[in-house]
Amino acid sequence: MNCDRARRALSERMDGEHLSRRAAAALEAHLRTCAACRAFESQAWALRERVRLGLAPAVPDLVEPIMAAVRAEARRRPIALRPVEPLEVPPAPGRRRPPLLRRLAPQLAAALIGILVGSLAVGGPWSPERPATAEDVTTGVLRAAARVTAYRASFRILERNLSPEVPLRELSMELWFRAPERFRLDVTDHTVPASDDSAPTDLRLVTDGQTWYLRSPPPCPTCPPRESLVTNRTPFSSETPVPADLVVPVATLSSPDGVRVESRDRIGGRWEVTLAMPFERAAPLFPFLELGGTWRPFYPHDRVEVTLDAETWAPLAWSVYPARGRERDQWALRFGLPEEPPDLPIMEVRRIAVSPRPPAETDFAIPAHVPASDAGAIPVGLADLPREAGFHPVAPERLDGLRLYRAVVPEPDAGAGASAILAYAEGLRWLKLAETRSPTSTAPLVDPHAEELPLAGGVAYYEPATADHGRRLVIHTAEGDLYLETNLPREDLLAVASSLPVRGLPLPRSWRLRESEIGTVERVTLEQAEAAAPFPLLLPETLPEGAALASVELVRTDGRIGVTLYFQGREVALGGTLRLHLEPGAALPTTSEPGVLTVELRDGPARYSPRSGRLEWISEGRYVSLEGPGLTLEQLVAVASSLAPAVPGPSGPASPTGMP
Amino acid sequence: MQDPDPRTLARARAGDVGAFEELVRTYQGDLYRFAYSYTRDRALAEDATQEAFLRAYRFLPSFRGESRFGSWLFRIARNCALDAIRARKGQEERALRAPAPPGPSDPFARVELHTALAAVSPEHREPFLLIEVFGLSYQEAADVLKVRVGTVKSRMHRARVAMMAALATEEAEEEEDAGEL
Repeated sequence: MNCDRARRALSERMDGEHLSRRAAAALEAHLRTCAACRAFESQAWALRERVRLGLAPAVPDLVEPIMAAVRAEARRRPIALRPVEPLEVPPAPGRRRPPLLRRLAPQLAAALIGILVGSLAVGGPWSPERPATAEDVTTGVLRAAARVTAYRASFRILERNLSPEVPLRELSMELWFRAPERFRLDVTDHTVPASDDSAPTDLRLVTDGQTWYLRSPPPCPTCPPRESLVTNRTPFSSETPVPADLVVPVATLSSPDGVRVESRDRIGGRWEVTLAMPFERAAPLFPFLELGGTWRPFYPHDRVEVTLDAETWAPLAWSVYPARGRERDQWALRFGLPEEPPDLPIMEVRRIAVSPRPPAETDFAIPAHVPASDAGAIPVGLADLPREAGFHPVAPERLDGLRLYRAVVPEPDAGAGASAILAYAEGLRWLKLAETRSPTSTAPLVDPHAEELPLAGGVAYYEPATADHGRRLVIHTAEGDLYLETNLPREDLLAVASSLPVRGLPLPRSWRLRESEIGTVERVTLEQAEAAAPFPLLLPETLPEGAALASVELVRTDGRIGVTLYFQGREVALGGTLRLHLEPGAALPTTSEPGVLTVELRDGPARYSPRSGRLEWISEGRYVSLEGPGLTLEQLVAVASSLAPAVPGPSGPASPTGMP
Repeated sequence: MQDPDPRTLARARAGDVGAFEELVRTYQGDLYRFAYSYTRDRALAEDATQEAFLRAYRFLPSFRGESRFGSWLFRIARNCALDAIRARKGQEERALRAPAPPGPSDPFARVELHTALAAVSPEHREPFLLIEVFGLSYQEAADVLKVRVGTVKSRMHRARVAMMAALATEEAEEEEDAGEL
């Protein structure tokens, strides 16, 4: 295929024509080798966006004058209500990609050309300066998240290598949002199905915050679509998630850790910033992957490039590029993926239109025919809260602009105490506070590796954001427990939490001590571990960006004492938890894991087990094991090579340097 | 382009004014914008839109569904818009034209687009607007313009290439201008 033919084929494809399988394959093959034609394609899409947004006159409402003329006509020449011939409906030519205006939802079709200003309904303007660092981006995103009130946009999704039969898939995505929790997301799959046994990935999510509805593809093409409806949903529940990062990527970018600024461009008088980050870091920008249907797999270290409008901080385009390296190749082999060139995106999402008009209430209509499951979080008025909950819930004094959005009294679980939830929001920023009064003093639900930190004269337990959760903080008191969860940065969470009229107690010893198959495990401080260990501790000077020591455990097995240190991101649990274990030893334990490698470290040879992401070696009479399932071998080696004897002192590892 | 609800269409064909009003609500925005792309004048575009719906109301009983309803409506609107332009030429003095509609966020970008569009011949511009702006398929555009699908396809591609070149040239010139400052 030459360039001219390829560009004609590209034109046809973007205009909704169906290419034959052979033509599509030839086009893909050409695009892989021809940068000029790839540029042509992206310029053609840019032209479409520009023309749709730029050629639009304001549309007057002509219904009344038109209908006045029609009624006059009807009176003058009454059309006899005679039977008319039945319509010849053209036969549907199979499942072809519908034309664009139909692909974009009807509501948009009406609004699309009338669009004059492509902007979020936000209270700007701010940050007109040229954003330079990932910190600038985080600041901008958080400010925009506070101000955004409504958004309506359309996106196009291209996905490569879903299967050998479907090398390229095109979907459209429509988004409606009104702060704080009204969302609707429609995904429509325009791909010709490869076989009769696969249903297209058509999705719909609608929520008003309290009720949450999801329709996803059926398990077979002839089955009805799956529908689920949840009523009395807990505000900002991660079990019934909302696609907030498509509006402003607040979950993805509330921290600059692991994010790099790639480029800044001034386009049409506005700054656009392009950022790069690993896929796992950008997961909230791909909410549709979690909602159902069929999608290709992504490797956690695949590179995501996100372009943001530096004025509204709305994501404009984001693409996933395959990571390089042996581990990625082996992973790809498991999924039967073809060889994927590193400069060809395997998924591209691009905003193609945005409406200046906020969505209407009717856009968030939730179907009523679906049997509901009641999540039991019943909203109550603030005045009724003490009576409904059975106690007076505490509230933070400091809210930093957040306002009370909903008060909820969950239906009590059997045996559990009374509880109440206060949810606060400002734009897309949110924080919720659950308070539980327990009749018996049981230990609260805290991750054993949560970071223990001082808070307002007491202690609290902190966990960074994960793919499913915001940042969490648990405060254990004499009366009960407080759980805070938020998409705000750690510092803001701690500021709000420290204004609560409570003092957190350390968790009881029963919680710090547990029996495991390897022996007795006790959570201690770093100083306690140093004092108890019969060998000098080692601490890394290099850690993944944003990571820090979160918890320390003493492990007692048959009279031997080992120490395990857990490191995780302070803001984002990037790459999971990094575990460093030390104990006296002269030889490596046996392993049954296949595919182990030997790696040369400064101290000598080390064994690497790729499946578990573990690196083990012997160092001066100590058995050392370093485990980071989310890290590459290079990253693990970087951490391992930086291990040095701990410097005695209260501050723990002295500000570890970032890792490339 | 969306299809109307077949029941609404059937009632409108039988003369039901209420059902016809639903069709007007659905299509008036698209039809106005389409007419405006010919007239470049708000008042004329309004007249053409109104006239198009009036004709549609008259001819609806004869609409047989050979093409999609939207294509049929666009074809009528195109005729009305061309009639309106012809009529204006005869009575230029009357054309106390309304000021141009308010522009999008970046008025300069819009001027560029119009300059670029003006550089494309009318026969290429028409399929370009129908497909690129109004989202019609090649078949639907062919139905509106009464030409073959293959013709639409090749004109569309040429128009796209020409638009991309025209905009690239303007941008290059702008950069030169900026460089001189």
